[in-house]
Amino acid sequence: MDFPFAKQAIAQLFSKPSCDMYPFVPSDAAPGYRGRIKYDPEKCLGCGMCARVCSGNAITILKEPVEEGEKITLTFNMGSCTFCKMCADFCSSKSITFSDDYHMIATKEEDLIETGSHIKIKKAPVKPVTDEKK
Amino acid sequence: MFNKTIIESAARSPWIFHINGGSCNGCDIEIVSVLTPRYDAERVGFKLVGSPKHADIAVVTGPITKQSLPRVLRTLEQIPEPRCIVTCGSCPQSGNVFRGSYSIAGPLSKYVHVDVDIAGCAPKPEAIIDGLLLAAKILAEKKRTGSSEVQIQNPFAPAREKEKGENE
Amino acid sequence: MSVIISTLMYLGFILIFPGFLFCFFCGMLLCGIERKIVARMQKRVGPPILQPWYDFFKLCGKETIIPTAANKKVFLFAPVIGLAALVVIQLFIPVFGFTAFSGNADIIVILYLLLVPALAEIFGASASGSPYAGIGLSREMVTIISCELPLVLVLLAVGKAVGNAVGTGVCFSLQTIAEYQIEKGSLIKQFSMIPAAAAFLLVIPGEIGSHPFDTAEAETEICEGMLAEYSGPPLAINKLSHAVKMFTMTSLFCALFLGGLGVGIMTVDALIVLGLSIIITVCVVALINAATARLKIEQLFKYYWTFVSGLAALSLILAWFGL
Repeated sequence: MDFPFAKQAIAQLFSKPSCDMYPFVPSDAAPGYRGRIKYDPEKCLGCGMCARVCSGNAITILKEPVEEGEKITLTFNMGSCTFCKMCADFCSSKSITFSDDYHMIATKEEDLIETGSHIKIKKAPVKPVTDEKK
Repeated sequence: MFNKTIIESAARSPWIFHINGGSCNGCDIEIVSVLTPRYDAERVGFKLVGSPKHADIAVVTGPITKQSLPRVLRTLEQIPEPRCIVTCGSCPQSGNVFRGSYSIAGPLSKYVHVDVDIAGCAPKPEAIIDGLLLAAKILAEKKRTGSSEVQIQNPFAPAREKEKGENE
Repeated sequence: MSVIISTLMYLGFILIFPGFLFCFFCGMLLCGIERKIVARMQKRVGPPILQPWYDFFKLCGKETIIPTAANKKVFLFAPVIGLAALVVIQLFIPVFGFTAFSGNADIIVILYLLLVPALAEIFGASASGSPYAGIGLSREMVTIISCELPLVLVLLAVGKAVGNAVGTGVCFSLQTIAEYQIEKGSLIKQFSMIPAAAAFLLVIPGEIGSHPFDTAEAETEICEGMLAEYSGPPLAINKLSHAVKMFTMTSLFCALFLGGLGVGIMTVDALIVLGLSIIITVCVVALINAATARLKIEQLFKYYWTFVSGLAALSLILAWFGL
């Protein structure tokens, strides 16, 4: 009967604990951590590439026709996200970014949803030209 | 006299039972890491118990496969009131990358009332501690009101959402 | 009038001082300190000392689920009987000079009463009708048998050592042992009693089901074993009796080997016993808990019947020849 860790246990009893006192001492995420998604609708082109590469079907694109053209709404459901950053990598206009906020706790479904909409103005001049030819 | 003590201690000693509903093991490892010397959730009273009858908080991981669904529901029913159900990771909330698969019966919220969702794939141990502490608060609130569904202010809800809600 | 006073005195003994409230307080304190020290030995901060209190009160406020297969009465009353037996043991254990109840052969009574909490747990577990509890209770029976032999040998050795000096053959009265130690100094100072004390210290973790010997309640492999079906207040009482058992065993060690350290004032004596119990818990229970992994049931049996029993038997032989 021997206690291989007894010595270590006694040594550790008198040393400082190696705990992160997390809820009392805030802790930052590691650099490059992929946390809560931030979406900037101003920069978005509405190409739909992000939704196409999303493995978790977390991005839904809603297109509604309005007077000026088309209203495009992107909804990111972080409850379905794998945080693979593919959408941000494929986004040509860098409108999707991943923040380092990892506190993604929800009591309601809305807590995990990031959404934004922009209006895409349709290019008008092509049609009249074809009309004249006919 | 003791009622106040009981309510106070409900928030201070939440015992966790972990249920795997077809998880890839990523979240399971993160849950165990919460109890390791680095994060040591025991200092706020958490304890991983082996029987659902001892537990207060059920932490469900995995996308709830069809095979695991009846077992998960049966285990959840065995947890005595007041209980709190926490989903850990994106899978039990939506199915994540497994969504639409023929073998997935989830999301879990279709079958039971889920109190707290912890998003992330897998969530950081700090996020799990946050979620479990919120669940412990809900637990005390449930003990106080005696109801099985309570609404509590979520300190981690995004601020932008709130502003939008006020504008509308 | 004197009948009423003596009745009140005995009620006070049972409910307050060496009885229920004192046990409750000391057991919870020891349990909290043990958890804290184990955590510190594992380089963690650990739960607050008050954690067992929080656990206890929380469990009191939970719903009690009774399995349909269970025998309801046995299932619910077994924990109460176990706790009651522990409180009764506490009444027999002398706090240095003072004993609430004493008899000619209270060591044998204690030996029997120490079985009762374990047996009550076994009855409760078998009444719950759970297969996990079934595995747990079979393991608990082996644990009882393993611990019993060294415990009996230790008590015999102590009895013989004191009996030789007093001249009664083998002495089975704790009161006599306590008085002898007040006169001649602690038994642990005698050369022949050192192996017995070591054996008793090694029996303590097995008897209270602490870590390397908690095969009966292995939470990761058999769902907490015997406690698998308990929830709410009965579970709280079970946890409480585990905590109280820790104090019972450590104070029994104090009474057997560390007697004669008291000063004669009852409150101070009680505090000294509590302090010694804390030291023993930290040195034995917490250290072994932190430094070892769970044993298999055969290993546990072999360990107790060879190593620990050997120590106790050595002490008995030494005491027999009056060394």
